[in-house]
Amino acid sequence: MSDSESSILQGTLDLMVLKTLEHLGPLHGYGIALRIAQVGEKALIVNQGTVYLCLVRLVQKKWISAEWGLSENNRKAKFYSLTKAGKKQLQAETENWERVAGVMGRVLNPQTGS
Amino acid sequence: MRALIHTITARIRAFLRPADLESDFDQELASHLAMAEEDGRRRGLSPAEARRAARVQLGGMMQLRQSWRETSGVTWFDGFALDARLGLRMLRRSWGLTLAGGLAMTIVITIAAVVFVFLDEFMGRTAPPLDEGERIVAIQSWDADAHRRREVPQRDLERWGQTLRSVEELGGFQTIERRSIVEGRPAEWVRVAEMTASGFRLARVAPLLGRWFDQSDEQLWATPVVVIGHDVWQSRFASDGTVIGTTMRIGDTFHTIIGVMPEKFAFPVNHRYWIPLRPDPGASLKAAPEVVVFARLADGVSIDGAQAELATIGLLPPTTLSATADTRRARVVPYTFAFTDDVEQGELAWQQRIILLLVTLLLVPPCLNIAILIYARTVTRQEEFAARFALGASRARIVAQLCVEVLVLSSVAGIIALAIARPILVEIGDIIRRFPDLGGSLPFWITFGFSWRAALFVAALSVVAALIAGLIPALQATGRVLPNALRTLGSRTGIPLGATWTALIVAQVALALAALPSTIELAWGHLRPAVLGPGFAAHEYLTARIVVDPEQAPAAAADLPAVANRVRAIQADVVRQIESDLGASAVTFVGALPGAEPMTLIEMEEGAANDRRVRRYVRANQVDRAFFDVFKVSASAGRTLDERDFSGMTTAVVDETFVRQVIGDGNPIGRRIRPAPARSGDTETEAGPWFEIVGVVPDRPANTSQGRMYVAAQPGAPMATGAIQLALHAGRDPAAMSRRLQEIGTNLDTLLRLDDVRRLDEVHAEAQMSGNLTSYALAIVTFSVLVLSAAGLYALMSFTVTLQRREIGIRTALGARQGRLLASVFARAMWQIAAGVGVGVSIALFLHQRMNIEVEGGWHIPGILPAAALFIMTIGLLAAAGPARRATRVDPTEALKNG
Repeated sequence: MSDSESSILQGTLDLMVLKTLEHLGPLHGYGIALRIAQVGEKALIVNQGTVYLCLVRLVQKKWISAEWGLSENNRKAKFYSLTKAGKKQLQAETENWERVAGVMGRVLNPQTGS
Repeated sequence: MRALIHTITARIRAFLRPADLESDFDQELASHLAMAEEDGRRRGLSPAEARRAARVQLGGMMQLRQSWRETSGVTWFDGFALDARLGLRMLRRSWGLTLAGGLAMTIVITIAAVVFVFLDEFMGRTAPPLDEGERIVAIQSWDADAHRRREVPQRDLERWGQTLRSVEELGGFQTIERRSIVEGRPAEWVRVAEMTASGFRLARVAPLLGRWFDQSDEQLWATPVVVIGHDVWQSRFASDGTVIGTTMRIGDTFHTIIGVMPEKFAFPVNHRYWIPLRPDPGASLKAAPEVVVFARLADGVSIDGAQAELATIGLLPPTTLSATADTRRARVVPYTFAFTDDVEQGELAWQQRIILLLVTLLLVPPCLNIAILIYARTVTRQEEFAARFALGASRARIVAQLCVEVLVLSSVAGIIALAIARPILVEIGDIIRRFPDLGGSLPFWITFGFSWRAALFVAALSVVAALIAGLIPALQATGRVLPNALRTLGSRTGIPLGATWTALIVAQVALALAALPSTIELAWGHLRPAVLGPGFAAHEYLTARIVVDPEQAPAAAADLPAVANRVRAIQADVVRQIESDLGASAVTFVGALPGAEPMTLIEMEEGAANDRRVRRYVRANQVDRAFFDVFKVSASAGRTLDERDFSGMTTAVVDETFVRQVIGDGNPIGRRIRPAPARSGDTETEAGPWFEIVGVVPDRPANTSQGRMYVAAQPGAPMATGAIQLALHAGRDPAAMSRRLQEIGTNLDTLLRLDDVRRLDEVHAEAQMSGNLTSYALAIVTFSVLVLSAAGLYALMSFTVTLQRREIGIRTALGARQGRLLASVFARAMWQIAAGVGVGVSIALFLHQRMNIEVEGGWHIPGILPAAALFIMTIGLLAAAGPARRATRVDPTEALKNG
């Protein structure tokens, strides 16, 4: 990985997946991976396979649920959707992220921070 | 926290069905690649390029699959299997630990499993083994204020039957005892279920022959009928196929046999005779457990649903109480729950949980001992863990490995416990069934069998044992080992055994010594009767129980003298019949049989100068004039009871143990004793009358731990109110006399019931059964504590020798003498043993002073405490001897080279 590419912080991918599902509704793994790559543009390099590890973790925690269905191209795919617990978790993590990001912003730009 | 629980659950599920999950993941990846390829082709790539691009974007398949397996929990199995194999290897290598730890765990898990089965079967947790038995319920009248079950008026039973829709086949039963007479056979007293016809329909068991009774048989004018059980049909009717339609007498009424039930059918409790319960709206069925109202839940109705409906119908206002004072409510409970104590279901559940918790806590002492052994072994394996740590294993992984190793040991212990608990339960079941009072009424669902719930409980105990014995030492050892792992790799200067563990060993020696004297005295007290025997020919004596028929018992005190007179006459007739057969006076009537007398708290009047009164539990018995002659007992001081004593009831004869325990060295004759005032729960009994000791007799039997006092019984009087025992000296052929006695019982006046004819040695054996079991249990627990103490000391010494190997090598090379080496190796173990013995002696002395061992059924053994201390020290020295010898054989060259 070159210096210009950002590695992803642990736990951040979980937040991205949860947010994607909240935004787009039930979606298969490929769709989630595409969406994250799209949003991150070139700044964020995520192996698509990593998304599946994240999905397993989230299903185990019951923050998302999985169900087999048919894709837009009539192909069998596993669809993930946000659960009630997942929505709560997303809200909590978003608030936490915003707080941390705010603090970081103030630390890095002390003049604008105040 | 919830997410963590979900994750663990999901991982366990993945561990249990890895193939399903892997196939699911493969399909998902295939679907992902297919979609990515399609996208690539749409972007203008050739099929080959699109496939390659899809695979590159996804990442390395092998790596992804492995990461997925680890994340999902599928790989748990591989790690677990490897750790289990390592665990088995360690069990073989550390055979001392395996034997000592395994034995202790097996004993405790076996005890816990037996307790669990008892709780399950005796505390209403099992459903009766009938078709949909779990849907059979009991309906009770529950008085919440008094916290007890009340009688159920028959009019309520009738009303519930007409109105309740949530239950079916509502009915009830009560048990009555009647004399049963079949032509050509001796009469016998039997327990009969007076039951509504719905009971048979509810049980859903078809008769083997004939039919059940139905509602028409319940009518007052209907011909009396009876349904008999399979074993009655076999034993009393010789499996006669034409028995249906014949008659038998139950009580004073002839009943027509209309059906024979199949083998093992004993509903509602443990019955072999069933007669219809005739409706009597004015009467009430007694409170449970004597009487139970039963029903089956209607299809689709839960017990809560039935309770809700019953709550709206309730009980009719009582006829004798004012409605405001009525605190009863009708409640629905599972059928077997109706046979427990007067408790609410929630309370019983709590009681069960507390008992199970206490039983589980029994695991703590042996597991802590094992933890010491595991810790000692673990720190000697520091090189192995350091190497694994250096190769990338996490601390958690190593802790898991150690826990799984101990889990292998505890699982083996659990499996052995399962195997031996079963025959123990069968044996206990047989013993209980041999007790006529208890065995005869043991409910049919109590089989002392092992359920899957018990197996699950044992499995859970094995896991708990592994956690206690494995987790603590694993965390401690890895906590110390791993931070220094690489530094200590290749060096033998290890970690010291921490102060916690040293304290545990001291505590363990102290505990073993503190408990040992009392345990030995208790065990000996219980075992002594079996070892020493009664001291007279108990097998030549026959005994029988005589009870007044409850239906003819005097209802009012005014009737008592008349009944007593009648009893006296029958009693004299029995004696005449027996004496005419034996040709000698050999019959005595006593309140209790020798060896089974009830315990009574008595107090002794001291001299005028000293007002302090000695109080003591002794065995007290009421005897007649013939007692001392029949048992061939003559006075060793003073005299036995004679004519003078049966008029005033102010004298007593005591035995030699009584004199030793209560009076000591003084002269017993002329001293006065009386039953002491006592408090039992809410009731307080007043002090009894004073009795003057007029004689001392030898102990009969000679093998019990408590002293005895005999007072004169008034002939006939005790019989009118309760049971009395008959004993006779039958000589060398008690079997023939036994048959004669049963015959006399069969033809006895219907007022009295003479049964339970047995030899006195059989009575003693039965009375000693629980004592023997207690002794065995105490012996096993003591043995396991001793083995564990010895194993702990052995581990400590081995550990010390291993750590000091280099130092010993240097000292040997410098010419140190073996004696000095031994002394230095022993020093630490000796210090710990001495500290343990010191604390243990103090606790044992305290226990000895506070606990009256003879009241608890023990037998005082002089000098037991120093003997126990010496024994523990010897065990400690023996355990330390092996490792110490190894120390003296250390080869200095080898030790220095490797160290």
